[in-house]
Amino acid sequence: MIIEIGHFSVIVALVLSVFGMASAALALKTRNPDWARSGRMAVTLIFVLLGVGMLSLVYAFIIRDFSVLYVANNSNSKLPFFYTVAAVWGGHEGSLLLWVFILSVFSTLAVWLHWRTQPAIMPYLIGVESAIIFGFLCLIVFLSSPFERLLPVPLDGKDLNPLLQDPAMVMHPPMLYLGYVGFSIPFSFAMAALFSGRLGEEWIKVTQRWSMFAWMCLTTGILLGGYWAYYELGWGGYWGWDPVENASFMPWLVGTAYLHSVLVQEKRKMFKVWNLFLIIVTFSLSLIGTFLVRSGVLTSVHSFATDPERGLYILIFVGTVIGIAFGALILRSNKLKSQVEMDSLVSRESIFLFNNLFFLVAAATVFLGTLYPLILETLQNAKVTVGPPYYNAVFMPIALGLLFLMGVGPYIPWRKASVASLKKSFSTPLLAGAVIVVLLFVTGIHNLYALAGGYVVTFAGMAIVLDFGKISQLYAQRNGSNIFQGSLAAFTANQRRYASMLTHIGVLVLVVGIIASTVYQTEKVVSMRVGDEFAIGDYRMKLTKIHEVAGGNWNAQEGVFQVFKGEDLVTELRPQKRIYSATQTPTTESAIYATNMGHVFLTMPEVSEDGVAVARGVLNPLVLWVWGGGVIMGLGVILNILRPRKKEE
Amino acid sequence: MGTKNKKIAIIVSILLVAGSLGYLAFGNFGENIVYFVTPSEVKAFSAEAYSKKVRVGGMVVKGSLKTQPDPVGLTFELTDGAATIPVAFQGIPPDLFKEGQGAVVEGQWRDGRTFHSTMIMAKHSEDYMPMELKRAGVELPKKDFMKTLSP
Repeated sequence: MIIEIGHFSVIVALVLSVFGMASAALALKTRNPDWARSGRMAVTLIFVLLGVGMLSLVYAFIIRDFSVLYVANNSNSKLPFFYTVAAVWGGHEGSLLLWVFILSVFSTLAVWLHWRTQPAIMPYLIGVESAIIFGFLCLIVFLSSPFERLLPVPLDGKDLNPLLQDPAMVMHPPMLYLGYVGFSIPFSFAMAALFSGRLGEEWIKVTQRWSMFAWMCLTTGILLGGYWAYYELGWGGYWGWDPVENASFMPWLVGTAYLHSVLVQEKRKMFKVWNLFLIIVTFSLSLIGTFLVRSGVLTSVHSFATDPERGLYILIFVGTVIGIAFGALILRSNKLKSQVEMDSLVSRESIFLFNNLFFLVAAATVFLGTLYPLILETLQNAKVTVGPPYYNAVFMPIALGLLFLMGVGPYIPWRKASVASLKKSFSTPLLAGAVIVVLLFVTGIHNLYALAGGYVVTFAGMAIVLDFGKISQLYAQRNGSNIFQGSLAAFTANQRRYASMLTHIGVLVLVVGIIASTVYQTEKVVSMRVGDEFAIGDYRMKLTKIHEVAGGNWNAQEGVFQVFKGEDLVTELRPQKRIYSATQTPTTESAIYATNMGHVFLTMPEVSEDGVAVARGVLNPLVLWVWGGGVIMGLGVILNILRPRKKEE
Repeated sequence: MGTKNKKIAIIVSILLVAGSLGYLAFGNFGENIVYFVTPSEVKAFSAEAYSKKVRVGGMVVKGSLKTQPDPVGLTFELTDGAATIPVAFQGIPPDLFKEGQGAVVEGQWRDGRTFHSTMIMAKHSEDYMPMELKRAGVELPKKDFMKTLSP
C-alpha cells in the first residue's frame, strides 16, 4: 500500500512538472508574476512528492517487502539494516529516482534563494528545471519504475550485489549525483541568460557558489569511488580508467575548466561564448555520465537490445537537451562578442586559456576512449577496448602541464606581464623546483615522471607559499601583530583567493600521492601454508592461522598474518575470502596497515582445500595523500563558499 | 609590433599548443585499441599478430585448470566450441573465475602456441554470464556466444 502512495506521488510530480513548464511559459508571456509564483509552488510540491516517493521506497526496503520487484532484486532477508537503506540506490531504477529527487531539492532551493534578487530569471529557471525533471520522471514512470510489484511474491530477495555492501559505496552515488545535479543550477541560469538575452556576467556571479558546491561533491564522489575500488576490489589500485569511472571524470574535467574560465569573464568580460559552451558541455556530460552508467550500455551495447525503449528514450532525451542548449547558444552568439581582446600571451588571461585547452583535450581523450568502442561496436559489430596505457600516456604530460599553469596562473598579472614582474614572482619557485629535483635524484629517485612531478609540484607549491607569506607579512606589519595573526587576517581579507589556493594545495598533495603510489608501488604474490612467511619491502608477513569466520550474510576464510618490520611485530592483518550466502558470490576482502601515509595492503584471494593460500601483498607509498589531498581540496571549497558576501554579489 | 601582428602571434601559438596536445591525445590512439577476438581467430593469427595485445573470450574447459605456485599463476584451456587454445596466466584470477564458465583474457599469442595473459576478467552480471550459456554451453551460434562474453 505504502509503495503505491509513493508511486502515485511520483506520477503527480510528473504532472506538476508539466504544469511547472506551462506556468513558466505563461509567466513570460503574460508578465503576470502570479504565474511565476505558481511555478514556484509546483517546483516545491514536486520536491515534497518525490520525497514521499523516496521515503516509500526506503520503507519498502526497511520492511523487506519482496513483493516490490526492485526490493526483491536488490535486497534480502539477511542484508544488514544499514545496507537495506543504501540499497535504495543500489540499482538502476532507484538511483534514477534519487537523481531526480536531488534535482528537485536543488530546484526548490534555487527558486526560493534567488527569488528576490533574480525575479526576471525565475520563470526561465522554473521552466528549465521543470523540463529536466519532466524528462527524468517520464523515464522513471513509464520505462524504469522502482515501484513495480512482483507476483507471485518470492520468499526472499536476490540480495544487493556484495561489492556494494560497503560504507564508501553507500555514499559514493549520492555524492556523484549531488555533483551532477548541482551543475544543473548554473546550467539553468546559463539557459536563462541565453533565452532572456541578459548575457552579462550576472548568471556567473549568481551561480558561482552553486558551481563550486557541485564541483566539490563530484570530486568527493569520484575520490570515494576510488577509495572503494581500492580496498574492496582487492587489486590495490584506485583508478583503472574503467568506463564507469570515466563517465564521472568527464564532467569533472570540463567542470573544472568552467570554474576557472568564468573568472576571466568576471574580471575581464572575455570568454563569454566559451563559458556558456563549457557549462552546457559540463551538464550534458553529467547527463551522459548518469545514463552511461545506469543504462548498462557500458557493459555491452547489447544491453540496449534487451531494453530498446529505455535506450532510445535516453538517447532522445540527452539529444534534446544538448540540441536545445547549443541551438540557443548559436542563435545568440552574435550578441556575445566580447568587447575586450587579449593583449598579450604573457598574461593571466592566456594562462586561463591554456588551462581550458588542457582540460578540454583531457576530457576529449576520455570521451574518445570511452565511447569509441561503443560506436565501433554499433557500426561494425567489432569489439574493442581502450586500455589504461593510452590514458596514462596522454594524461601524464597534460597533468604536468596543468600543474605548471597552476603555479603561474594566480601570480601573473592580467593583461600583460612585464619581464621584471615574472622574475620577481617566479625565479624562486623555479629554483626551488630544481633544488628538489636534485635532492630527489640524489636520494635515489630516478623515475622521469617522479622527477618531473616533483619539479612542477614544488614550483606550484612554492609560488603559493611565497605569495601568501609575503601578504601575511604585510598584514602583520600593518596591524602590528605576529605572522600567524597576519596570515589569518590575509586569509579572511581575501578569502576567495586564498581558499582557492588551499584547494590548489590539496591538488598538489593528491598529485604527490598519485605519483608515489603509482610509480613506487611494489607487489608480491605468493602461495603459502600456515607457518610460511614472505617479505615485501621492509616487511615480513607470516601466516599464522587460517580459520572460518561468519558475518550476518556471509561466511569467510580468514587468514591471520603477523606483520614484522625487522624483528618487531608491528601488527596483525586479517584478509578474508568471503562467500555471500544469498548469491554464493565470493569476494576478496583486503586488510590494510597504514604507515607513514602509505599502506601495506594484503589480500588472500585463494585458499585451496589442502590448505595452500595465495597471498598478495602491495606496498603503496604515500597513498593516503591521494585522499588527504581530496580532503584539503574540499576544505578549500567549503571556505570559498562560506566567504562573506561582498556588495557586488 | 602592431595589434594585427600581435593577434596573429597569439592565434598561432594557441594553435601550436592545441595541435601538439591533439597529437598527443589522438596520434597514438589507433595503437592503443585492444581488439576482442575468439579462440578460433587467435588460431588463425599470422606471425605479425603474435605481438599484438588482444582480448580473447571463451569458456574455460572443464578439467583443464592447473594452478602454479611459483610464480603464482594458472594454466587452462579456453574454447569457443570450434577451437581451443592453451592459456598461461600469471597473477591472481578474479573471484568469479571458474572452470566451465565464461572468461575474457587479455594478453598475447606470443609464440603462436600458448596465449600469455596477465589479466583475466570474469564479471558477474546477467549481460556477462547469461543462463543460456550454462544451459546450451557452446552450442549457441558462435556470434551470439561471443556477445554473451563481451566485456
